Amino acid sequence: MRRLVLSDDSEFGRKYRIAFVFVGVAFLVLIGRLAQLQIVYGAEYRELSRTNFLQKINLEAPRGLILDRHGAVLVKNRVAYNVFITPRFFNAKAFETLQNLIQIPQMDLDYIQSKIMLAEGRKRGFSLLAIRDVPKEWALILESNRDHLPGLDISTQEKRQYPNGPMAAHALGFVGEVNAEDILRQPLADYHDRDWIGKFGLESKMEKSLRGRRGSLWRVRDAKGRIKTGADAMRWLPRPFHVPAQPGYNVVSTIDADIQRAVELVMAPFVSGSAVLMEVDTGKVLAYVSKPAFDPNEVSGRLSSMRAAEIYNNPLYPMLDKVIQGTYFPGSTYKVVSVIAAIEENLVEFEEYHLCKGWYEYGRSSSFRCTHAHGLMNLESAIVSSCNVYFYMLSERVGMDRMARYARLLGFGTPPGLDLNHEKSGFIPTKQWYAQKYQEGFRIGHTLNSGIGQGDVKASILQVAQAYGAIANRGSVMEPQLVERITDYRGATVQEFMPVVKRRLEFKPETWDLLIRALDGVVNNPEGTAYKARDSHLRVAGKTGTAQVRAMRREPGQDPEESRWRNQDHAWFVGFSPVEKPQVVVVVLVEHGGFASKMSVAPAMAILDEYFKITGAQNQVTP
Amino acid sequence: MFEPEGRFYLRIDWTLMLLIISITGLGLLNLYSTSVSFSAPLFTQQIYWIFLGFSAFFITATIDYRFYDRAANLLYILGIISLVAVLVLGRMFFGSRRWLNIGPLVIQPSELMKIIIILTMAHYVNASPPKNDEGRSLKELAVPAFLVGLPALLILIQPDLGTMMIILLVFFSIMFLLKLRVRSLLTLAASALVLLPLIWTFVLQEYQKSRILVFLDPASDPTGDGWHIRQSMFAIGSGQFFGKGFMAGTQSQYQFLPAQWSDFPFAVWAEEWGFLGAVLLCSLYFVLVAWALRMAVTTRDRFASTICLGVGAMFFWHTIINMGMVMGLLPIVGVTLPLFSHGGSSMLTFMVSAGLLMSVSSRRYQL
Repeated sequence: MRRLVLSDDSEFGRKYRIAFVFVGVAFLVLIGRLAQLQIVYGAEYRELSRTNFLQKINLEAPRGLILDRHGAVLVKNRVAYNVFITPRFFNAKAFETLQNLIQIPQMDLDYIQSKIMLAEGRKRGFSLLAIRDVPKEWALILESNRDHLPGLDISTQEKRQYPNGPMAAHALGFVGEVNAEDILRQPLADYHDRDWIGKFGLESKMEKSLRGRRGSLWRVRDAKGRIKTGADAMRWLPRPFHVPAQPGYNVVSTIDADIQRAVELVMAPFVSGSAVLMEVDTGKVLAYVSKPAFDPNEVSGRLSSMRAAEIYNNPLYPMLDKVIQGTYFPGSTYKVVSVIAAIEENLVEFEEYHLCKGWYEYGRSSSFRCTHAHGLMNLESAIVSSCNVYFYMLSERVGMDRMARYARLLGFGTPPGLDLNHEKSGFIPTKQWYAQKYQEGFRIGHTLNSGIGQGDVKASILQVAQAYGAIANRGSVMEPQLVERITDYRGATVQEFMPVVKRRLEFKPETWDLLIRALDGVVNNPEGTAYKARDSHLRVAGKTGTAQVRAMRREPGQDPEESRWRNQDHAWFVGFSPVEKPQVVVVVLVEHGGFASKMSVAPAMAILDEYFKITGAQNQVTP
Repeated sequence: MFEPEGRFYLRIDWTLMLLIISITGLGLLNLYSTSVSFSAPLFTQQIYWIFLGFSAFFITATIDYRFYDRAANLLYILGIISLVAVLVLGRMFFGSRRWLNIGPLVIQPSELMKIIIILTMAHYVNASPPKNDEGRSLKELAVPAFLVGLPALLILIQPDLGTMMIILLVFFSIMFLLKLRVRSLLTLAASALVLLPLIWTFVLQEYQKSRILVFLDPASDPTGDGWHIRQSMFAIGSGQFFGKGFMAGTQSQYQFLPAQWSDFPFAVWAEEWGFLGAVLLCSLYFVLVAWALRMAVTTRDRFASTICLGVGAMFFWHTIINMGMVMGLLPIVGVTLPLFSHGGSSMLTFMVSAGLLMSVSSRRYQL
């Protein structure tokens, strides 16, 4: 019979239990650890292992173009080459090679070095943006030396390009990289680091259309970064693993590139000012100039702090959109308000004459002066000669609040409706406002000043264009319009913007008749303030204006010539043409231009001339 | 050739047999999962080694274990000679001399030495029983300490820290389980503690020190060794309870694991077969070690039971260190998982050790 021999005298007999317990405990520790890793933290590790080999690539959507009304490209995209570095693989030798291959500015080198040094831990495995927008030649050199540059990658990025530089810069705007604020403001918009976002102008207003939708592509990569495409790799990919990017929509603006270019040229001699050309019947803006301008190519993206300070501290405010953000005293261009109010409220007879002695007698003050003694003036001749004395009388008769009411009807005091660049509403004062503002309260003098567009009245040139557009088309206050339509990248229309009548003014026909006749006289009557600078080939009606500038003392060290210039008034001219069947209204404001007749009429005439030349439209209406 | 002194009722230990076949089979399955997509013939190589291993197992098991008692001294001398030879003639690979060419064979003497040390210890324990009932005195431990110390030193010079460590651990394990005087036991424990700082200062290479430091704080080097530990833990953890399935472990299929065939196969296994599979494999090893321990107390003589202890200790420490390392419980040391890892030397060593167990086990019954 077989029998198991138990050796009672075995040397190990006594410690058998200890050994057994020790072994058991050791294995229990292992199993405990397994439970901890696989059961307690299993789900987290599952996710970590997923991100390990699954890579999501964002497919950036090309930003839509901005076109002019005929399809000419105003804003497009170009390819920029960015250099990325992964610190984990980018060794000292690669750094040296990089320096030998291309002439990198010392600033960039220091930046790369500090980035590499600061990258710690897991971050060493992430690629960092080292140099942005390198020249194409550099990108090619680096690409062909990839084998000697471990950890260096070049990736392309679309960058905004404004082929016409500063042309229509304030209307087109510019883009910038999203910042924390942008992302917080639109948490659902899926903005990523380094995405472009419109910061100004149409780029900003039309951001949602221009941006498009980002696509994505999932890939499987092994530990060495090799991409796996086999069927067994594909099964890991989420569905759908490829979502193509949706290119942004193109924005067709109302701007006419040729006219815009011509207007820019006309405005070239003026350091500071603005001009706008708008269709009378539709409110579509054909040209949009604000001076001095900036170059959107320069301000889109990174700007050195020195250059930024230079631009933002420029006393002429290049970043200010003077078409809608700049508000000025409308000066004599505002006189049409009291004219309309007086006729509509039956406060004046057309043939009622008043004597202008050169000043207006009001109280003891002699500060209500005219340019000179005009003699006997009626409604029409007062407009033609822009007689202040007549309008002091007229506005006193109309009164502050009635004047304000008619001003608002014409669009003053409210945003014109372009919905761009935080357009300003300007300001129309009322009796109540004066009562609150001044201790001595409202006085008639305030009304007199308002009547000639000074005092506290403020308006932007687009508001003036809007008001005169309504006069030209006899009663339709049009919403100004910069966007004609939105199309997809193939050119099919996605959305079309029709002209919007903001308000229909039902005034007496004789109101319009008189106004248009008088404004015609301003240009074409030898007594008219714009007569000398008129273009006799064109049928233009309009109004000059002067916006007083608050006298400023010469600052120490300031050039006396500059100081003199700074104290000159702003010169206005608003006109529409042809008089009989107006097509467009133009407004020119030359800052510190002095008298309007000298400074702003001529450019306005030149702009209209260009308009008719370029469009081939008839400016003479044959009866 | 030789005549056994007594007659045994020869009986195959099917438990042991089954354990060895299971572990080897699971290891092969695991290797298949990660190697099919590779051009290197890892899988066929392993089959060849397993075949060789089983042959060695059967040969070792067939021979009466008492033969090894008599051959122990000679084997020890041959072992020392080969260790010296490897230092003089050995080929340099990855900064250490471990391999020796004998004709067409490439052998790794340090691997063989693990077995020889077990036999040497068993021979010594058997030849010199404790001199009194209290147990062995320190003086009686001096000889085996020297016998182990010499090859340990030679292996250290190669350097092959993992193998040296296993040899020392096996030695200490056997010593602790001997009948010792309390004072001897305490001295032994103290000397183990003293050895640690000495090893740290004089023995460990910089890279080994940094591995240990990284182990203590994996975040300190998340891209180097710390990265490996993390990837291994990702693999195991992501297996969750049921695993990702055969050939579906992304960590291993996409090679996020370092040395996944020799040192990290357990991570591959745990990823694909989950907690269930990992516990199953742990249990197989536990049963194997426990079986060896049980055999140690049930065998007839000191030689046989010391062999069981030694082989059990070797399996135990290899398993614990390898799994502990893969799970981030211990620093990374190149120690294989017995019978499971890919590699010829390791397979042969464990098959021969298992053969020794079998030789003892099948001769436990007297006629």
